[in-house]
Amino acid sequence: MYHTVCVTYYMANGTASPEVLENLKLELRRGCLIVAVLAQLRTEQYGYTLRKALADDGLAIDEGTLYPLLRRLETQGLLVSQWREEDKRNKRFYRLSKPGEKILTQLLEEWQNINTSLNKILQEA
Amino acid sequence: MNKIFSRNPNDLVDRYLQAVHFWLPKSHRQEDLIAELGEDLRSQIEEKESVLGHPLEAAEMAAILKQCGSPMMVAGRLGPKRHLIGPPLFPIYEFVLKMVLLWILVPVFIFIVGPVNLANAGGDWGSAVVSTLASLWSGLFIAAGIVTLVFAIVERTSAQVGAECKWDPLKLPPVRKDERKPSMLKAVCELGFGCFGLVWLLLLPHYPFMILGPAALFLKAAPLWHTFYIPVLLLSTLGLLRSAVTLARPQWTWFPPLSQLLHSALTLILLSYLIHAVTRTPSGYPFVVLKDAVRDSRHYIQIAAIVNISILISVASTWLGLCIAAIVQTWEFLKYLRKRNSHAHRAASVSAQ
Repeated sequence: MYHTVCVTYYMANGTASPEVLENLKLELRRGCLIVAVLAQLRTEQYGYTLRKALADDGLAIDEGTLYPLLRRLETQGLLVSQWREEDKRNKRFYRLSKPGEKILTQLLEEWQNINTSLNKILQEA
Repeated sequence: MNKIFSRNPNDLVDRYLQAVHFWLPKSHRQEDLIAELGEDLRSQIEEKESVLGHPLEAAEMAAILKQCGSPMMVAGRLGPKRHLIGPPLFPIYEFVLKMVLLWILVPVFIFIVGPVNLANAGGDWGSAVVSTLASLWSGLFIAAGIVTLVFAIVERTSAQVGAECKWDPLKLPPVRKDERKPSMLKAVCELGFGCFGLVWLLLLPHYPFMILGPAALFLKAAPLWHTFYIPVLLLSTLGLLRSAVTLARPQWTWFPPLSQLLHSALTLILLSYLIHAVTRTPSGYPFVVLKDAVRDSRHYIQIAAIVNISILISVASTWLGLCIAAIVQTWEFLKYLRKRNSHAHRAASVSAQ
């Protein structure tokens, strides 16, 4: 829906560059990615499998974005991590912490509210 | 701690990780980050190998690394987000940089360094201009560097002390009212600078080095100043009186704009007479002339010519600036009168009701 709105705007206006669209998409994705990462980590995963799972669900994320994000969320106490050997290789496994679970529930509620409001606004327009 | 780099020098992943490691800031968590990135890359390679059914060739491995991005770029994304001067300070930085470079450094080079270089060039004006431009160029870089350094330090220190928290909405200045009120601070400053300027003007005939510097050894004021010195003194005294009245009678809101306009007009008239007198000076040295002892020195004649041209340019620029200022001041004064009339009209209609 958002994509359609942006493309329609760009085509109708004919002045905004594709970079504007890309930047807006990035801004929109930024908040959603945090929710997606937290939701995926309700089950324990390591970096690569997490990235793959997100990409399979349509939210591709590069290494340079994911790993700093995981560190930030861990520092905020929303994730816990542990280095463990698996298949003869050391891997860092992440999962949602107790406070993280609580925050995820609140974020999902907030996301539902935003979605409802946005749908309402779009229907009115 | 995990083993980050294997001993195999041909391992492309290890070489890649080493390059990323080089560009990462030296924080305590970078070993972790590198280990995790390495694990991610090895998982990608492993998956590709299982799809293809054979160990990856160097070119195939290189393709995976290329997709990941250049080591410098990856390190930039992995590292903390940093900036030299952040968004809150940037507008002030931009303003100060513009002020220093365009309004201080460039005029200093045009009106002081340039003429001095020309005076000491001994006739080689081309190389004097080139040397001035070269000095200006390096001066601009040094000044920009210093300003940037100062702001970078302010950025770091203000972030540490949390200057933003000290901001108090109650200390915001009051909303400016429609009617212009004379600024007391401005009047005090004008009075102070006016006194200083008047004393300086009175001392000038006895101590010419106060304006000519070392050139006072071989230059002296031209006869033209015998005519214009007293009017300049009177104008300066008038400016002083204006500031004093503004300070003593703040309730006279009409006085500052009107007196400023009159002062500008008088200065313009005086400058016009001065320029007119300059054009009628036969010697070609209207403002300063050589002292008798050095009258025949070719070098000093050139310096005197350059100083005269510099003063003429300054006088002409001041005249032009004053013309613009007078137009703006007239407009401001008319606006003030219109506002005052409309206020009086409104007050009359309210009392009639």
